[in-house]
This record gives sequence, structure tokens and C-alpha cells, in this order.
Amino acid sequence: MTAPVAPESVPPDPGDDVAEAPPRRRTGLIVSAVVAVLAIGFVAVLATREPATDRRRDSPLIGRVVPPLAGETLAGGNFDIDDQRGRWVVVNFFATWCVPCRIEHPELDAFNQAHARAGDAVLVSVLFDDDPASAREFFDGNGGDWPVVLDGDGLIASAFGTPKVPESYLVTPNGRVAAKFTGGVTRDGVDRAIDQIEQAAAERGAP
Amino acid sequence: MNAALGQGGVILGVAASLGGVATLAVALRQRRLHLIAVGRSYALLALLGAVVAVVAMERALITRDFTVQYVADTGSHKTPALYNVATLWAALEGSLLLWVLVLTGYIALVVHKFRRRLSDPLVGWALLTMLVVSSFFFLLLLFPANPFHTFDPPPGFDGPGPNPLLQNHPLMAFHPPMLYLGIVGFTVPFAFAVAALATGRVGEGWLLETRRWTLFAWGFLTVGIVLGAWWSYEVLNWGGYWGWDPVENAVLLPWLTGTAYLHSAMVQERRGMLRVWNLSLLCATFSLTILATFLTRSGVIASVHSFTESDIGVWLLSFFGLIVAVTLGLIGWRGDRLRAPGRIDSPLSREGAFLANNVLFAGFAFVVLLGTVFPLIVEAVNGDQLSVGAPYFERMTMPIGITLLFLMAVAPVLPWRKASGELLAQRLFWPAWVGTAAVVAAVLLGAHGLAPLLAFGLGGFAAGSALRQVVLASRRQGWRGVVGRTNGGMIVHLGVVLIAVALAASSSYDTERELTLDVDDSATVAGHEITYLGPRTVEQSNKTSIRARVSVDGHVYEPAINRFGEGETAVGTPAVATSPARDVYLALLQVPDDDNAGRIVLRVVVQPLVLWLWIGGAVMLVGTVLAAFPGRRRSPTAPVSEPPRRAAGAPILAPANGDDRAGRTDDEPVEVPT
Amino acid sequence: MTRTRLLGWLAMAAVLVAALAIGVADDGGPRTPEERARSLAETVACPACDGQSVAESDAAASRGIRTLIAERIDQGASDDAIRDELVATWGESILLTPDSSGVGGLVWVLPVVALVLALAGVGYVFWRWRGMAAVHASDADRELVDQALAPSTRARGEDP
Repeated sequence: MTAPVAPESVPPDPGDDVAEAPPRRRTGLIVSAVVAVLAIGFVAVLATREPATDRRRDSPLIGRVVPPLAGETLAGGNFDIDDQRGRWVVVNFFATWCVPCRIEHPELDAFNQAHARAGDAVLVSVLFDDDPASAREFFDGNGGDWPVVLDGDGLIASAFGTPKVPESYLVTPNGRVAAKFTGGVTRDGVDRAIDQIEQAAAERGAP
Repeated sequence: MNAALGQGGVILGVAASLGGVATLAVALRQRRLHLIAVGRSYALLALLGAVVAVVAMERALITRDFTVQYVADTGSHKTPALYNVATLWAALEGSLLLWVLVLTGYIALVVHKFRRRLSDPLVGWALLTMLVVSSFFFLLLLFPANPFHTFDPPPGFDGPGPNPLLQNHPLMAFHPPMLYLGIVGFTVPFAFAVAALATGRVGEGWLLETRRWTLFAWGFLTVGIVLGAWWSYEVLNWGGYWGWDPVENAVLLPWLTGTAYLHSAMVQERRGMLRVWNLSLLCATFSLTILATFLTRSGVIASVHSFTESDIGVWLLSFFGLIVAVTLGLIGWRGDRLRAPGRIDSPLSREGAFLANNVLFAGFAFVVLLGTVFPLIVEAVNGDQLSVGAPYFERMTMPIGITLLFLMAVAPVLPWRKASGELLAQRLFWPAWVGTAAVVAAVLLGAHGLAPLLAFGLGGFAAGSALRQVVLASRRQGWRGVVGRTNGGMIVHLGVVLIAVALAASSSYDTERELTLDVDDSATVAGHEITYLGPRTVEQSNKTSIRARVSVDGHVYEPAINRFGEGETAVGTPAVATSPARDVYLALLQVPDDDNAGRIVLRVVVQPLVLWLWIGGAVMLVGTVLAAFPGRRRSPTAPVSEPPRRAAGAPILAPANGDDRAGRTDDEPVEVPT
Repeated sequence: MTRTRLLGWLAMAAVLVAALAIGVADDGGPRTPEERARSLAETVACPACDGQSVAESDAAASRGIRTLIAERIDQGASDDAIRDELVATWGESILLTPDSSGVGGLVWVLPVVALVLALAGVGYVFWRWRGMAAVHASDADRELVDQALAPSTRARGEDP
């Protein structure tokens, strides 16, 4: 504190002539306590969040009829998913610039070969934000002979709610979306999913 | 060698900071106050550690020394020279090196400035707090975010280079350092606030001592944010400059509370009031800077700005929790006892205006914080996934912004203590005419819509009020009429008005079109003729640039799409035709190639007055520098309205702590009722 | 206030009201379909871009959604119908502003609540201050102040 001006005079006692000091308010304490409670809640919320990129978004499509998927294929033919009623369909969104897509490619190839023989499941890929020439080159170099639908204006990806690749959807023989896989798929993973869903449906007695 | 050197620097920093903390803790606990001076040596050693680490890293980056993990992850032979230096802050670990460099630099400056007061417990506590913060950041560099891990590069190895977005524009070299100088700078006033609370000495000069620190930190932060907006505009290809992105919001929050503090600090200087509130503001500002760091680096909220996530998130969140706990504890424990007596007599006074200012800025910060974290909270509570984006923020902050403009107009003419309507009407007459003229001019130029017109009118009003102040002061004091806290502040207000007007104009009257053009095709957008002249490909060391030559009203610009690496990542670089009246922004969305017969898709955005955003930012910077200018010294007990003169004798009151300053300085002009 | 001043203020008010009336009435003409599409796109989040709207982003998903919006507007759908369709495909998080009902509504309500609380707090503080007795200086106090000011009043040439 600054030194008193006139050392010889005694500094007045604060309580003397001034009106009675008001009782000490606890506003600071109360406000701090309230903020503390909010802060604890806030930190708890932040502490329990997963990193955003890993978060799985549940697709609202699951259980619903598959969106329309029809268009020209790489090979020049036409594909329409409605023609595939009666068989499982795996819809795979991919791009050649996407590394996980290239990694899952052999798995898709294996899946396709196994089920093409049995005829019970069909694999169709949709080209996502990529040009047909690169896709053709990619398939020529890596094999694979399932239909690849071109989606130049992105309407198919939009209808499925696909923001990034790779993403795959599993469609039942009735034409309903049963599962969504973000990231690459494996042949076993898809087979297992098909088995699980068939078993669950058998237990329920529903088709 | 670089890795070892850098690692050594970090270890030195850790040891020095922790050693300093220990020494100061002992010194303060056992009242061996002479030991505080030893803390100075620790602070300088920590600075040395930071300098060594940064120099080692820069050397590794410039020489492309891939034995250092960080360089292997972010450096590349193809990156041009300037960007190699800037690669230091292009990724997480390197940016932390920049942080500790700035932090230890500030600590060393504090130690130097207070060198004659190192036996004062207040300074001791402040130093202790700062060294705790520096310990934390050095520990981050030693453990979760260590850039100096060694790497064994296979022969012929070349790194990937920094993120392509960060190699596109020279502003990348300036925006992060400015931002850090601001954000990290708030550590100093925070440390003094903690010291004031811990020692109970809130009533004396600590606030004045740190006023300039806070002003400079705030100034750097302002520049950092404006540069960030400018960079975003020039680089990100979407034609906007502020997206209410979580990371942008996170950095805006401390700016808002810092601005509130700068204003309410004047109430404390003049009336001795709002002391505990100011301390809380400083603590909140610093906590928000740590929260901002956490949000940016932990990946909890996805953003175009996010660094890679790692377990640094846990560390940062814990530190945030610690800071909040300590400051709330101190305020809860001490705050009530430290409250100043005194009252604000009337809401219609300068004090009342500053109080209103604080309420508005606090509200602004609340809205921004709420909108940013709301999706996280909702997801935690019931699993729903919501988004809160730009439309929300714009709708909620616009009324606050308009009210703040009005306040900026009225507050400078309000006297302290009490004002009458008569006085206000008299002083605001000409500023109000300026506002009216602004509205008329805008309408004549074709402006429409209530919100922008309000912004123009109130902006003119505020500008008139600020100019009035500066003109009156200059008339009375000559060149001194533009320097000092009040007058510099008026210049800052002018900068803010420029930005507000530019914001209103560019967001209300923008035109956007997507054009598909063949070679030599033309189109007209908002009165400007856009012609596609043809493509051009430029090969650079780190990228292949496919450019479209486009003529805007006769001048040629080249928006481009740049391909980095093996053609995997393509990043668009816009071209902007700038002029004081409007910007024509060209973004190339699709390159001409064989598939589309040489056609391009071009997004054209015409926005008026965008240039004034950056000019306004520069004006704010100038105003901040002017505001930091020292005023003339006066005897502390001279009445405030006394014209400043050198007092005949020595200052009457002995300065508190052996400081050679007489304490209060005041540089406001004398308001003589006209 | 003098008569001239008063007239000055009245003139200003008149000019201001007139200008505002003109400015607010002229709203730049009816909205074209492109403008409507753009303004709707600005409220829809780009699913791949972390925070940008589909109006601003170049990602494939955004382009797809923009095309969708344009088609639906041509087909005559209302803004709400389009938004509902997007939510049905992509989920709630596709909209950049939460609905005012339900949990999302909190984000609109809380700031208003906070403002009301803040104003109430400030009002309370002022009321409390008004209730405080102003400090009355005693003679001893006055003497103390005079002693403190003595050197400076002497320097000004006044009597202490």
C-alpha cells in the first residue's frame, strides 16, 4: 500500500466515520461455484468424445428400401439395382485415388468370384468423384469383372448419403438396405454380415 | 545431430522451467524473497533451450535433414525455401516449438522489465505461474508431441511436404506467428492476475504494469485473426473469409474477452472498481487460449483447420481443467474479500458504457462458445448428431454487433460519473449527421435492406464520434492528440467501423455464379465481363499448376488448380481481382481436359468492399500502436482535469516498490464544455 | 437545447427516416431460382467437409446435393420439403442450424436466457449501488486530503 502522506497523523480507522460496512457478500464464491460445476460438466463431455474422423454415422437408410441405382457402366452396358431383386447386392463406392479403396479391391474381387459362381450375391461398384479413364486403367491392371456404375454428377452418392470413400452398403434380396460399412471391407466381413442377417431373419420368421 | 541438439534444447527447457518452478515455490513459501532473482536465471535458461530447439529444427528443415522425424513427416525437397521455414508451424509438433519460443521470449522480457523488483512476491508469483505454463508446453514437446524422434530414411527418401493448403500462399509465413504472439502473450497478464489473487494485492499498480502487455498481445491477436481471414479468402477457394469454423471461433473467444478486459480495465484505472471482474476476465482469456489449443489439436471437433489428433488431447484438456480449477479456486476464495468499495453512479456514464460493453462482449463470447460446443454436448447427452453452422452464428451475433456499433458511437462522448441527455445531444450532433449521411449515401448507391443500412448508419455514427474525439484532442494538444490510450483507441474504433461496414456490404450484396465456359466464351456477372482466354500449365518444384487465363473487364487473372505429389491431391487456388469498390473472386472448379472438351467450370463471386476488411485491420493495428504510446506523467494526486505540467517537486507519494515511475499516467484531453 | 439545434435534430430525423424507408422498401427484386437454391444450399452442411456449407464446398457430395436442390426447386418443391428429404437421407446433422424444437432448440434459447440473466444481474447491481449510502467525508478526512494536496496547491500558487 502507498505510504501515508503525513506520517504524524494517524490514518483513520476505516470503520469510524463511514457508514456501517455492508455484510460481506459471497457473490464471488457463488459465481465461482456455479461456473465450476459447469466447467466440470464441460470438461467431462470433452474428455469422453472420440476423435471426429473415427465417428461412425448411422445411416438413416438402414431398414429402408434401397435408393435408385441405375446408370451406365464402365464396360458400356447398363445397370439397374432393381433388376437384382432376389439376390444380395453389395454396393461399393470407390475411387482410384483413395488408398483404402485400392486395399479393399482384392477382397472385393475374392467376394465377387465366390458369389458369382453361386449366383446369390452381386457386387456393384459406383465410381465416386473420379474419371472413367483412371477407373478403366485400374481395373485393367488389378482385375475384377463386376459392373462399375459411373456417377459423374454425384447423384447416386448423394442418394445414398455417401460423403467419402470407401463406403459399402449391403442390400437384402428384398431390396432393403441392411448394413453400411465405412472404410474398407473384407470378403469375410461381408459374408459374416450376410450370414448374421439371414440368421436373424430366420429366427424372426420374416422373409 | 539436429535431432540430438533439438532434443537437448527441449530437455534444457523442461529442466529450467521445472527448476524455476521449484525454486520460486520454495522462495515464496519460505519467504526467502531473494531467491526470486534466481528464478530469472531459470527463465533465461528456458529461453535458451527454446532457441536451441527452434534453431535445430529450422536447420533440419532447411537442409532437409530427414533423420529428424518431424522433417520426414512434413518436409520435402520440393518445398520452396520460404515455406520450409514456415513448415516449422505447419504441423502439430513444430507449432509447439514456436509456442515455447514465444512464451520463453515473453518470460525473458518480463524478467527484464521487472528486474529491479525481483524481490517482490507479486512478481515472484507471476514468474512462477509463467514457468508452470512453460513447463507444461516443454513437457508436451518431450512426451506426446516430440518432433525430435529420429528416423532412418531409406535411400532416396523424400518427405511428403507440408499440407498443400499450407504451401499456397506467403501469408502462411505470417499468420501463425502473429497469432501465437497474441495468444501466448496473454499468459503474461494472466500470470499477474494469478499473482494478484494469490497475494491479495489487487489494488495497486500490477494492472498498470501489465496494461501494455495486454494491449500488445491483443494487437497481435487481432492481426493474427485478420491475417487468418485474409489467408482463408486467398487460399481456400470458396470466396469467403470467415466460416464460423470451430477453430476460427476458438481463437475469436479470447479476443472477445480480451477486448472486454481492455475496456473495463479503464474503469479500474479511473475508479478503482471492477477489480475482481477484471481478474476474472484475464483468467477467462487465458483459459480460452488453452481451450482453443485443445479444440484445434485434439480432433474432437472436425474442422478444416484441425491438426492431426494424438493423445496430446488428454494433456491439453487436463491442463485446461487445471487452469480453470486453480483460477476458480482463487477467485472463489479471495474474490469477495478483494472487492473494491465504490459504485457506479449512473448507467449513463463512461463507466456504464464500459459495463454495457462488457455485457455485450460476454454475450458474444457465450454465443460463439455455445454454438461451437453444442453438437458435442448434445451428442454426449442423448446421442443425437446436430450441426451448428454459419447461419446460426450470423443470426445471433448480428444484433450484438449492431448494438456494439451504437455503443461505440455514444461511449466516447460520455463523461465519467454522470451525463445528461442535454450533454449527449450536444456532443453527438455532428456524429449523428455523419451517420445519416452514410445511410443516404448508401441508399443513393443502391443499398437496400434494413440490417446493412443500420450497419452503415451506425458505423458512420461511430466513426463520427471517434473522429470528433481525435480532432478535439489534436486541436488542444497537437500531435499528442492522436496518441495515448483514448486517442489510439479511437483510431482502433475507426478500424472496427471499416471492418463492420465491409462485412455488412460484402455479405449482403454479394453475387455468386458458376459458369461453364469454352475458350473465348464470355459471361457477365454483376456487371463485370468474364472471358475465358485459354489454359496454361506451369510446373513448379512442388506442384503442377493448371491455370485458366480469365479476363475480368480486360485484366487477366489466373485461377488455378494445383496438383501436388503424384497427382493425388488437387488443391484449387483462386485469383482475385481486387479494387476498393469490389472484389471479383475467381475459383477454378474443373480443369480443362479431354473429357470435357476443354471447358472450364468457374465460380465467380463478386463482393463489394472486401479490401476494406484488410485496410480496417491495418488501421486497428496502427491504433493499437498509438494507444500503447506512453502518455505524459502527472503527479498522482493532481486532479484529472488539471493540464499536465511537470510538477515543481518530486512526486508526493513514494512509489510502491522502488519503481522509478510515478504511477498513474493519464493522457486524456481536457473536455471543456462547449 | 437551442431552437436551431432542435430543428437540426428534427431535420436529421426526417432525412434518416426517409432514406431508411426507401432503402428497406426496395429489396432488390424477387428471388430467382438460383438465388433460392443458393440460399438454401447455404444452410445445408457439406457432409465431407467439416463445417462448410454445400454452397461453398467443391466436394463431390456437395455437388451432388446442389444438383439435387436445383432439380427439386425446378420440380416445385418447397424449401422445407427439400430439407426434409435431405435429412431423411443424411441425418439431422446435414442441416447447419438445428430445429427450434427439441434439444436443438436449446442453442437458440440459451443465449436469450443468458442475456436476460446478465441484464438482471446488472440491474440488481445498480439497485444495490443506489441503496448504498454515499460516502460522507468527516472533518478529519478533509484535513487529511488537504495535507496530501498541500505541495501541489502550493505549486499552483494557491493557498493550502
